Amino acid sequence: MSRPDAHIARRSPDKVMRLSRLGSLHQCRLSFMRILTRRMASEGWQFTRPVFDIDGNGVGQAVYTAKGPERAYSLVAFAHDLPDEKRSDRVIADAWDATFALFDGVPSDEDIKRLSLNVPLQEAGRVSERELSLSRANRSVRLWTNVVDSLAAGRQPDLKHIRDVGYLMRTTAVYGSGKFGAADRELIAGRDEMHVPFQAEMLSVYLTRTFVRDLVQHMAKAKGRANSVSLDPGIARQLGIGNSTGLGMAPFIINHPILFNNWIMAREEAIARVRGVRTASADEIDTFLRVLNQSVISVDLWRSEHPVQIAKLAQLRLDLQLLNKHLSQQALEKDYPWNRLVEWSAAELSDEGQELVASLILEPYGDLVDGVAHCMADSNHDAFRIDGSMPVAEALSLLREGFAWAFELDWSDKANCARAWYVSEEKLEPRLGERFEEPISDYEQPLAPARDAVAAFLDLESWEPSDPIALFLLSHPEHRHTLRRAQMCRSAPYAEIRDNTISEAVMPIDMLRAKLSFFGATHFDPRSDRWVRICMYAGAPYPEELFPHNADYWVYPESAG
Amino acid sequence: MTFSLNEIEATAKRAARGAGYSWGVAEEAAKGTRWLCVHGFDGPANLVRLLDLQLALSADHTPNINESAWSGDGVLCPLVTGAYLSDCAGQLAKAPIKIQGISVPLLLLPYAGMVARALNSCVRISMDDLEAVTDGKELCAPGAVQLHADDVTIRLGGDLAMPRSQQARATPDKAAWSKLNDYAHRTYAPATDQSRLLGAGAGLADND
Repeated sequence: MSRPDAHIARRSPDKVMRLSRLGSLHQCRLSFMRILTRRMASEGWQFTRPVFDIDGNGVGQAVYTAKGPERAYSLVAFAHDLPDEKRSDRVIADAWDATFALFDGVPSDEDIKRLSLNVPLQEAGRVSERELSLSRANRSVRLWTNVVDSLAAGRQPDLKHIRDVGYLMRTTAVYGSGKFGAADRELIAGRDEMHVPFQAEMLSVYLTRTFVRDLVQHMAKAKGRANSVSLDPGIARQLGIGNSTGLGMAPFIINHPILFNNWIMAREEAIARVRGVRTASADEIDTFLRVLNQSVISVDLWRSEHPVQIAKLAQLRLDLQLLNKHLSQQALEKDYPWNRLVEWSAAELSDEGQELVASLILEPYGDLVDGVAHCMADSNHDAFRIDGSMPVAEALSLLREGFAWAFELDWSDKANCARAWYVSEEKLEPRLGERFEEPISDYEQPLAPARDAVAAFLDLESWEPSDPIALFLLSHPEHRHTLRRAQMCRSAPYAEIRDNTISEAVMPIDMLRAKLSFFGATHFDPRSDRWVRICMYAGAPYPEELFPHNADYWVYPESAG
Repeated sequence: MTFSLNEIEATAKRAARGAGYSWGVAEEAAKGTRWLCVHGFDGPANLVRLLDLQLALSADHTPNINESAWSGDGVLCPLVTGAYLSDCAGQLAKAPIKIQGISVPLLLLPYAGMVARALNSCVRISMDDLEAVTDGKELCAPGAVQLHADDVTIRLGGDLAMPRSQQARATPDKAAWSKLNDYAHRTYAPATDQSRLLGAGAGLADND
């Protein structure tokens, strides 16, 4: 097993936690999808489809069961016949092409019946502690009919068309952690296979992808009968599951500071360990160059119509050319090659390019990196309690150090607090509004930690340095959430975004991307400044073809096809 | 119908905020409501009992801590008093804390639990003629509901002879739950045409 030969410090939060960088993160070995597929393959999970009861119009239900060493989990899927005009990615939709729940175990007929009365209603229904997630998906109008018609007519669908879209269906919400009555995270967090965050949700999406492949095949067969052909497995593997993610997800990384810290810190620790490797073996260099070449293909396939992402992609393609040129000059043959490469990239590449390099250098070092995944959950519940005995002077310096950048901003300038996060009455979902143009500031959510930190600092300054902050907080309860966060940062240096989340220039898609990159998403395609489409599991082996040898690097495409 | 503890916590946080408490106090009230549900109490019903008293908006319900017993100009609010109790956990290691005149004293217990965890010790809470003991994880307490206690004493020690059984789900009283949601509703901004259009970021096509 390789070990770091030198101690290299993790990159500083000041560098890592800027929104422009968080909005440029890429998937890596520590992504939740890859952690799941590695585990399922290494433990030899068994997959079955005990129910597939769907008619020729694509209406009915199906159950997919994944059985691990100790427990089974089942995706219960309901397929619907949705008129085109009702199809919408937005959270305000009330009907979908397919709806799902991930059941804890193997559902009985009564369970399926109960779910059939609730799951299709999504937010308007109720699930129980036997369900670990609730989700829905819509067909891609661009691809679905095309694939059904091609297969029904006895032809394979056009691979280029498939790669242009990337998926047959996209999920528009995957709810877990007790939402709408589902099981609390605490009920499953102690299980080995569920300890890493979002494993239930990732499993649900993995099985959803299999269901969607089976459904398209089923409908093609119903349409073309004897003329129809089976979808080529190589083409099927190119298909991921799309996902549309909106503002609802953005506050998550602010509302879960320790959890988010643990994700970032895990990746930064992994990067630091690999940078500490003195010499790269020929095999390790081969692995790196292979995934790099495959990333070039992946970036070529990455489409976006959003001007910001178009510019970032152009820069990333340029970065890859620079990187290849740099590598052609024996850049990996000196000592500490990965450290040198990271330092070179910091000087020469855009944020997108730097973060791609940082993710890619982890690939040859599973033995050095993968164990860090165990630190990605948040089990430090005691960090919630404020230590009120902390002297005012110490609290002042915590705020000053943790939010140094925020003291440079003029918070009375409208541009720096132009936005406010609020929850809409209509759909109970987070939204972002214009503070000075809409009647929303009375409803503002506490999602501007930097502004609040400066405000707390200014009030705290007039107190005696030796006073305990408990006294201050008794007079100023409005600063409790801020002092709690400041104290959390003592053990969670990457807990806070070091950027202004209410500025007129804030791009919520940066927050969405930061979170989605840890899921393992690829091909981020912003559809505005506040919602984004992504692809999940494209290239992944389906359950029947999942083995240790292909459970990990599937995210890197083999060829341009 | 049962609710997940996450639903209880999320709704309680919004409700406490909706009733006028600061976000930080609301966060603690929410965790406390959840904690009470875990220990088999109807956390939402007890929180609603308090919110209905509308103590959030006046400093009269904040403890004056310069006296030998904490008391207020009016009846004390257990959320504000509990937060202070939790903040000065260390003080309890030196001497018992006395509190005079507090509403819904059951809501103090989660804060006593936080103190117990911080001090790694049992904490005993006497509320008039009722007594509870907790180490933060387990709780011994009678099921009776007090709307008010004249004298509360919190001290280290006690023994967890018959802890309450712990629950993974909550079944709040229907009317109380509905009322809690009404308080939560006060934190939701009324929809306007502008917010519908821009708030969630309409953009490129979402059905293609």
